[in-house]
Amino acid sequence: MTAHTPKGLDDLPVEEPRWVGRRVRRREDAALLTGRTEFIDDLVLPGMLHCAILRSPFPHARITSVDTTAAAALPGVTAVVTGVDAQAWCNPTRTAPDGWGTFCLATDKVHYVGEPVAAVAATSRYLAEDAIELIEVDYEPLDAVADPFAAMQPGSDLVHEDKGTNVMLQRVFNWGDVDAAIGDALHVFTESFRWNRVGANPTETFGCVCEWDPMSLDLTVHGSIQSPSSFALGRASELGIASNKVNVKSHPHGGSFGGKGGARGATITCLLSRKAGGRPVKWTEDRTEYLTGGGSQAWDRHYEATLAVDADGRATALAVTLVDDLGATGEGFGAISAAKPLAAFTGPYTIPVARYDLTLVATNKLPASPFRGMGPPPHFFVLEQMMDIAARGLGIDPAEFRRRNFIQPEQFPYTIPSGNEYDSGSYEEVLDTALDLAGYEDLRKRQAEARADGRLVGVGVASAVEPGVFDWSAYAIVGMPQTGVPEGATVNIDIMGNVTVRVGFSMEGQGQYTLVSQLVADWFAVEMDAVRVVALDTQSAPPSFGPGGSRLGVAITGAVLGACERLTARMAAVAAGLLRADAGDVELHDGRFRVRGKPGAEMTVAQIAGTMLARSDLLPPDIDPRPEATYVWTAPDRTAADEEGRAKSYLTAAQAVHVVMVEIDAETGFVEILEYALADDCGTRLNPVVVEGQTEGSVAQGIGVALYEEYVYDSDAQPLTTTFMDYLLPTVNEVPPLQKGAVVTPSPFTPLGAKGCGEGAIHTTPAAVMCAVNDALAPLGVLAREVPAAPNRVWNLLRESKERS
Amino acid sequence: MKPAPLDYAAPTSLAEAVTLLADPDRDVMVIAGGQSLMPMLNMRLARPELLVDLGRVPGLDYIREDGDWLAIGAMTTKRAVEESAVVRDRQPLLHAATCHVGHPQIRNRGTVGGSLAQADPAAEYPAVAVATGAEVRVAGPDGERTIPAAEFFVTYLTTALAPGEVVVELRIPALGSDTGWAFVELARRHGDFAIVGAAVTVDLDAGGAYGDVRIVLFGVGPTPLWAEAAESALRGRPPGADLHAEAAETVRAAIEDPLGDVHATAEYRRHLAGVLVGRALTEAVTRARAARGE
Repeated sequence: MTAHTPKGLDDLPVEEPRWVGRRVRRREDAALLTGRTEFIDDLVLPGMLHCAILRSPFPHARITSVDTTAAAALPGVTAVVTGVDAQAWCNPTRTAPDGWGTFCLATDKVHYVGEPVAAVAATSRYLAEDAIELIEVDYEPLDAVADPFAAMQPGSDLVHEDKGTNVMLQRVFNWGDVDAAIGDALHVFTESFRWNRVGANPTETFGCVCEWDPMSLDLTVHGSIQSPSSFALGRASELGIASNKVNVKSHPHGGSFGGKGGARGATITCLLSRKAGGRPVKWTEDRTEYLTGGGSQAWDRHYEATLAVDADGRATALAVTLVDDLGATGEGFGAISAAKPLAAFTGPYTIPVARYDLTLVATNKLPASPFRGMGPPPHFFVLEQMMDIAARGLGIDPAEFRRRNFIQPEQFPYTIPSGNEYDSGSYEEVLDTALDLAGYEDLRKRQAEARADGRLVGVGVASAVEPGVFDWSAYAIVGMPQTGVPEGATVNIDIMGNVTVRVGFSMEGQGQYTLVSQLVADWFAVEMDAVRVVALDTQSAPPSFGPGGSRLGVAITGAVLGACERLTARMAAVAAGLLRADAGDVELHDGRFRVRGKPGAEMTVAQIAGTMLARSDLLPPDIDPRPEATYVWTAPDRTAADEEGRAKSYLTAAQAVHVVMVEIDAETGFVEILEYALADDCGTRLNPVVVEGQTEGSVAQGIGVALYEEYVYDSDAQPLTTTFMDYLLPTVNEVPPLQKGAVVTPSPFTPLGAKGCGEGAIHTTPAAVMCAVNDALAPLGVLAREVPAAPNRVWNLLRESKERS
Repeated sequence: MKPAPLDYAAPTSLAEAVTLLADPDRDVMVIAGGQSLMPMLNMRLARPELLVDLGRVPGLDYIREDGDWLAIGAMTTKRAVEESAVVRDRQPLLHAATCHVGHPQIRNRGTVGGSLAQADPAAEYPAVAVATGAEVRVAGPDGERTIPAAEFFVTYLTTALAPGEVVVELRIPALGSDTGWAFVELARRHGDFAIVGAAVTVDLDAGGAYGDVRIVLFGVGPTPLWAEAAESALRGRPPGADLHAEAAETVRAAIEDPLGDVHATAEYRRHLAGVLVGRALTEAVTRARAARGE
């Protein structure tokens, strides 16, 4: 049975929705704010041991011996594992692209600083850390592969000798005749850019408690896990056990922004539990482990881009060359971040043809992981700088240049050259809303005055598309063959009429339990707080991916409404019997099943549920008496990728325009944000409070990567940013107040018309801030090509300009 | 991120603390607010055999006026200094510097004595101590002694404290009512350790030219840098942009081997030091003139 989920708020079975679409406080917050939410590090199980992991201090070295004798002899130590155990009991990590993995503990050599070499389970974390200091490892250092361009050269040292190359993938995608378009264009602009390594940094790092049942060989993993079902498959694959033997119980967790893969540490912890006879073992990744050996790093990119523009100021072709330094292995799935730009390659513009020359390279750095936005944020940084360079070259105001190139509302659904289809949009309206909020003309006036005083003030206007509701087909080019990402929910009404929803993901901070409660409360016309939401483990849950790729708000809406609809149909059949009417004449409205055209013939939801469970004598024959239904939602009409990587992948396309004013201190190169305004359109806003929260956090992360954050490695691939003293996250002092506006263009393809918006502003913020920085620098004739625009870097540009003049 | 095994003692008198510290057979460290030491312990960069916690030693938490001096007990928190009306009125340079130390949470725990004894070259307090001509009173097995701040900071994270000695008090002269001052620093984010900072005091002579000037930079070398050459070049000359630019160059030249790190190359640090000296002098002169009603 197909559920016909409501397309708009008007289609909900209530006179007036009380919860959906309104500014509803998040029901998660009381427990979070009072410290009562149980995070994974709070979990203590009887007999639990603690894991500590010994990590490589070398970026590249052969291991000649590992001696664990002294560690194993330390009182309190129960188990020690090394690469020998991993080789005996494990498979190499799963990777993208396929075949670039290693064992969870280094065997013959180490490939990056922070790579696990051995691990200990002891009765306390203190003892475990004492014990790993007693493990003696002999290393024979090798030359490190630190630079991706050197790594691509024949004869380079190899991260993995058996691969014979450091190039993980090299392919050119031509979507249309790009050479002809560039040849025909009146204006052609080419620039190179560098996006340095940044990444996700949730307050809570990854943690897990693993229990291996030595009799049944069942494995239970409790953890701060973003995608429990994928995580279960990964552990089954790496540990060589059947997937139905692994049960993952994800705890409420913070973030994750993509950084909580935790794969290696979890596999190691499972091994320790196995070796400790099945005792539960906890591993809490500490911050240094996270920064140097965890899911912390993403997007280490070298770009060259060409934009062709015709005489009317319309962009006619975009060519992007990307060399992406993925680090030592493909286990972090950072490669999918290089593929995701296919879902929005040409941004909000009608650029008809495009080329993507993509090279993924292995080096002796930490394997790259996903990070909020998953790849388009650097891509849009490049595209938006090119748009500004072109606008400057043509003498057109950057806002006007974008307006001229926007996809128009009547062009949707709109297929971009890289194959994805955008659902809907009103890009000019979003632009105008942002410009109005910012007081754009006034900003330009202030800028002119400041420039007259010799100050370096710039205004950036940038626009980007946020692909929402991910589909694997977007990542086909890096080895993801699937299409469709199911998300299920079960809605149950008990004998007293109380509603419980069971889902397959745990609380992560985006307010999805609130959303589920809003939906069900409006469907059955109950109080929101009366709806109970329960997270199921992977052995009990319906198919589920959980949060990721700006999908869960839309996906869980589809699942919950689908289940509500199915349950309603079943209950309507019962009501029809009780009310002596045709099932087709019974409808749910404001919490009552009523018979059309028979006023007064109605029963409450609770009455029907109670009847189903406690009055079988009154039920129609052949009725299933469970007041419960499950629905598994998958995005409609997705397609597998063709040979050029083109697919209808991400279901929705939200869009935003950010307007930023910055000032650069001409003596020091410090960048200060003076004004920040934005408008976005993510379709129906199911809970505006949550949307705004996502926006604020995402702007903060965008400012972080634009101005502060950077994982620095030296020329020997030694990490230099291993604490928060060196890796700088923006704080409340660095993030300015935001003026936020909204435009609502519902998606025609999703339940209620909502679009994915969880990753949000980070698609636009770095681009907008850098546009502003470059606008400030424009009179000096220099271009900030590198992110972040850290003061030292900007000062180098100021000096370059002085030396030139 | 758990400390290596250690013993812990929480003495209840200064004498007891000094006795514990003076144990020649053990590697002993003092913990006060723990804002620098705890991370070092957790990362096992510091591995004392015995940790002596001063938290229960009475009589080390005070701010007193003592004629033309302020006396501040070693266990006084930065937050107490920040909120002290006496400090704000009589030693505004110290007050201003305090506001740059980390964040309120850090200032609630971090102590005056801890900052001095830690001797981080990018920290604010050592620079202020040198700039103001302060003294550090210490107690040890042989009793107490007083060390001028300019001699207290020996090199990176190293002080003139002898084995067994502990900081008990910062003695800092009150600023003269006509003295102009400035505390400026550049940090990547508000509350970070400075890339470079400068603490400056200025007395103008009767004719409005530079009289006594004190310029101390931090973040540029292993200890606070007292820019005496720049000071003497200023004396007797009227403040102005050209003179300040000259002072900036003199300061840049005085920095022997600036630190280079992921946030600032040595060259950039040297450049910034000059910029900050110029800005600090301008700000301090403005205050000095204001104090004279100009």
